[in-house]
Amino acid sequence: MAEYKTVEKVCGPQRKGETQLGVLYDNGKVRRRREWRGVKDTFYDYTRWLYLVSVLARFVAKPRNIKGFFRYRWMANYLGVMHGMDKFTIGLRDEPLRIAHTAMNFVINDVTQAIDHCFRGDRRVGNDKKYSDNCVLTDENAMTAFMMGFPNVNAILREVPTMFSANIFNQYSTTHYLDVAQEWGLPGDVCPMPEAESGISIEDDFCVLGCCAVQVNTTCDGSLMGNGIIAKRLEQDYNIPTFQLVAPMRHRMDDVQDYAAEDIRRAIAFVEEHTGQKWDWDAYFACAKRVNDATRKRIAQMEINSTDYPQFVGSVFSLYNDTNYMGNCGRSPDFVKIDEKLLKLAERGYQKKRMLATEYRHRCIIWGVQPQYIIDMLYWMIQCWGVVPLTDMLSMVNTKMIAEEDTPENREQAYYDMAWLNMNMIMRNRTHGGYRVLVDELWEFCEQMNADMVMMWEHMSCKAFDGMHGIFEEQARERGIHIVWVTHDLCDPRVYSRQDIRDQFNVYMRTVMREEPLDPTIEVLPDNDAW
Amino acid sequence: MPKPLKIVLKILAVPVIFFAVTFPIYFFNLDMKMTSKLEPFLLKHYDNLPRDAHL
Repeated sequence: MAEYKTVEKVCGPQRKGETQLGVLYDNGKVRRRREWRGVKDTFYDYTRWLYLVSVLARFVAKPRNIKGFFRYRWMANYLGVMHGMDKFTIGLRDEPLRIAHTAMNFVINDVTQAIDHCFRGDRRVGNDKKYSDNCVLTDENAMTAFMMGFPNVNAILREVPTMFSANIFNQYSTTHYLDVAQEWGLPGDVCPMPEAESGISIEDDFCVLGCCAVQVNTTCDGSLMGNGIIAKRLEQDYNIPTFQLVAPMRHRMDDVQDYAAEDIRRAIAFVEEHTGQKWDWDAYFACAKRVNDATRKRIAQMEINSTDYPQFVGSVFSLYNDTNYMGNCGRSPDFVKIDEKLLKLAERGYQKKRMLATEYRHRCIIWGVQPQYIIDMLYWMIQCWGVVPLTDMLSMVNTKMIAEEDTPENREQAYYDMAWLNMNMIMRNRTHGGYRVLVDELWEFCEQMNADMVMMWEHMSCKAFDGMHGIFEEQARERGIHIVWVTHDLCDPRVYSRQDIRDQFNVYMRTVMREEPLDPTIEVLPDNDAW
Repeated sequence: MPKPLKIVLKILAVPVIFFAVTFPIYFFNLDMKMTSKLEPFLLKHYDNLPRDAHL
């Protein structure tokens, strides 16, 4: 057995303002009060709060959005938007606070627009038929790469506000829909994400819009089951034709690439047929340039995270990458400016040696599929135990540059590039694709980022990781990497509560690492009933 | 008091009053405390909506 790796402890100055974060919590749905961060940072946080208030005010100013609010149960989860934002800034000061706000405020704004677009075209709410006829319902778990050449068509990812982001703001957002799905006979042991989406469809609680839909096989039996139920309702009840874009699972193999590219061609032809729009190569290559730009910036952020002073880390890093890489996929120029701003902030923070906590004891890679209902735990790890999450599995996506010059050869290459992006979507590129992408590359990332610890999310309903537990354990031991297993149920907090999840980490840190928390007041948090 | 000074004070009073009202709401989390009270009523409302539930 190898000796366990250690990293040098990094200590910073005493934090301004609140030092014991436990005072912010009581047994309520929300926090007792907001955090005191010193005058400058509290004022900054207050101005960002005002900005979010203005985003929400603009949203509710439209009567159709009020109508949608009272029609759709999932909208109630957005009562907790500000609470959600507070979860991502716990203990942060200076540049890391500004990075979290810049990225997450942009994501919140993006989700608000997504809801606004859904309601505009929704047959039950806005019923703007002309707008709806120019929309394509796009699977939440799809790279929107096949929409890069349709600048005048709207890709509507309706599952994002309905299920995905709702669970970030309210841990119990899915439970009603899970109960509905199981009342209708669906098995309870599949992934709760597609199961909740099935429940939403069964209860007819999705917005209904679009001239067609494109679904993508994601990663699991649950996803396939959910897609079937949703497609049936779309086609039979609402006459919305649905295309199945089938990404090969062994995406690193040469012999699947032709098939994958051909499927992208068929998806594009399907969208052309139903929208009446033609594929625009100029728009495609403009998007491709932006995809490459985002990739370069993401790599630059991870290079900073490989140093002693990581800046853009945690759940916001993951959520921003999800939104930019998968949901946007180069289609919106707005992300370019935000990427630039984030990188400038991170570079400045690195130069000034800014820290997210007063002490870093361990450098950790987060692997596995994260639980949506305690996605902010990565900030808790920093504040409670001084463990820095350098990056996460869902952010370790494509690093290849795709063809961005419009030439005849590159037009052919473009189908392969779109297929490559689609196969390397955030949930597929590691959980499928073979042993190398899931296991071997993890140890390479540990080496590159100088990590001494891996926090392994074990999603109890996910079959993709089944059977790998022992292999990870064995190889981690051989390499002297500490591996902390933390079991959860993705977006259903009823089996593993938030504290059950934190306790798995607490127990490892106390019994194996023999360490005491940096901030003992947050080792146990009374947030079982919190949003 | 000279009139220009009065105008300046009135202009300054707007952001000061705005800050005096909104900062306590922000700091004591009154916005979230209020919306959290609304949730049970909304859920009751959604429960009472007619639904076309089927597979």
